[in-house]
Amino acid sequence: MLAATLATLAVVMPARAQLVQVDTAQGIFYEAPLRTHMFVYSPSLTVTANPSDSVGVYGGWEADVVTGASVKTKAGAAYQAVHPTTDVITTASVNDFRNVGKGGFTVKHDNTSFGAGALYGEEHDYRSISFNVMARTELFDHNTQLQADYAHNFDSVCDIVQDPNATPVGFVPLPSSVGCFTSTPTLTTNAIAIDSFQGSWSQAWTPVFQTQALYTLQVLNGFQSDPYREVVLGQGVEAQEYIPQNRTRHAITLRANYYLRGFKGAIRLGLRGYRDSWNIYSGEADLEIEKYFGTKFRAAINGRFYKQTGAIFWSDDYSGGNPPDGPKGQYWTGDRELSPFFSVMGGLKLTYEAAAAEKKVLGFMTNLRIVVAANLMDFSYDQYTLGGIPVTGAFAYLLNLGLSAGF
Amino acid sequence: MKAWLFIGIVLVTGCVTVRPQERAVLADPIMQFEGDPIIAAQLHHAIDNREGSFGGQGVAGGGCGCN
Repeated sequence: MLAATLATLAVVMPARAQLVQVDTAQGIFYEAPLRTHMFVYSPSLTVTANPSDSVGVYGGWEADVVTGASVKTKAGAAYQAVHPTTDVITTASVNDFRNVGKGGFTVKHDNTSFGAGALYGEEHDYRSISFNVMARTELFDHNTQLQADYAHNFDSVCDIVQDPNATPVGFVPLPSSVGCFTSTPTLTTNAIAIDSFQGSWSQAWTPVFQTQALYTLQVLNGFQSDPYREVVLGQGVEAQEYIPQNRTRHAITLRANYYLRGFKGAIRLGLRGYRDSWNIYSGEADLEIEKYFGTKFRAAINGRFYKQTGAIFWSDDYSGGNPPDGPKGQYWTGDRELSPFFSVMGGLKLTYEAAAAEKKVLGFMTNLRIVVAANLMDFSYDQYTLGGIPVTGAFAYLLNLGLSAGF
Repeated sequence: MKAWLFIGIVLVTGCVTVRPQERAVLADPIMQFEGDPIIAAQLHHAIDNREGSFGGQGVAGGGCGCN
């Protein structure tokens, strides 16, 4: 359908500098801390058409092919000390296929643009319907750009039907995604609504220096637990992960780009501060240095440092132990993403980019960009253990390939 | 508060002038804030699902693919 529409546009529209832009990417993520191995392959394709100078339409698809294992039962050192011969940590195999289709348009008039889009995502155990709108304007000879984005998600998560007389301590985990989003009477779906807003201010200060400041707000309401995971709460007591229904998240991001003429390259610096209503605070610093080799090749090195505190209800062992372990009120989680940790990432990126000046690239393209990026991440967990065993060597490997062409 | 913020932005940015003929470097792909936006989007999708925070990468998204 999309291809037919674009082909029609190519035939009926008058000749322009560029009619269609195709962007595709392939990503691989792999990590293997202790007994969990996770492999994610992420392809994506976006096609953008500009039937006129003021109108752009796009459609796209992206996916995550997930295979591996995740922690099914979470316990800590105190429980393991009482049960030294018991392997309380179990893993569950994970096979999922996330598909996302998206589409939208932008309309530009003078220095102002408006856009709207929609997205539908589907996994074995998760569905997402999202709508987004955007407004952008440029001021002061294009030196200032202000943009606002808003999106609302109508998402739903598969879960097992719990005993109506049970309290959260008696909730059981979802055994598998088989039967999700069907009429299986033992399964149900839980709603999650997500409102996201972002405002940004981009500013060119000199011919070689520009900055960007962004504020991002997200409000989530609904089921946010991992339905498969259970947490050991006491001797013989295990319950499905149980975390708050509401979460409000704030982030402020600052970026700066500086071009070094003698070096024929640019330095990019990014800083981000974050806090949310679960009392997670985090800071992030990114640095990337990219340099031209000739007119079409670029090489870049990048580094990233990230550190966060744990959620207020985080504990590595809810069954006991010395602080910071022990019960933490009415909630419990086994998510290492909600524990205190820091991570370090470093990588390389190579880019080939050619744009048509007088004749087209390879005879038929107005532009061509090929990008290869490789990154290595190292997660260091302050408190998170698997049955009291610290998680060490938590490396993640990321490989990405991007290909973009204009016609 | 919002009015003062707006006035501040106008005063600060109104003094800055990068003339159109001086924008060649700013328009170069190497000056994009996120480097390559497609690669950056894939990286942030993978990273955001393994951290407790988010932000600064836009608002549109659907699902996790993380388990």
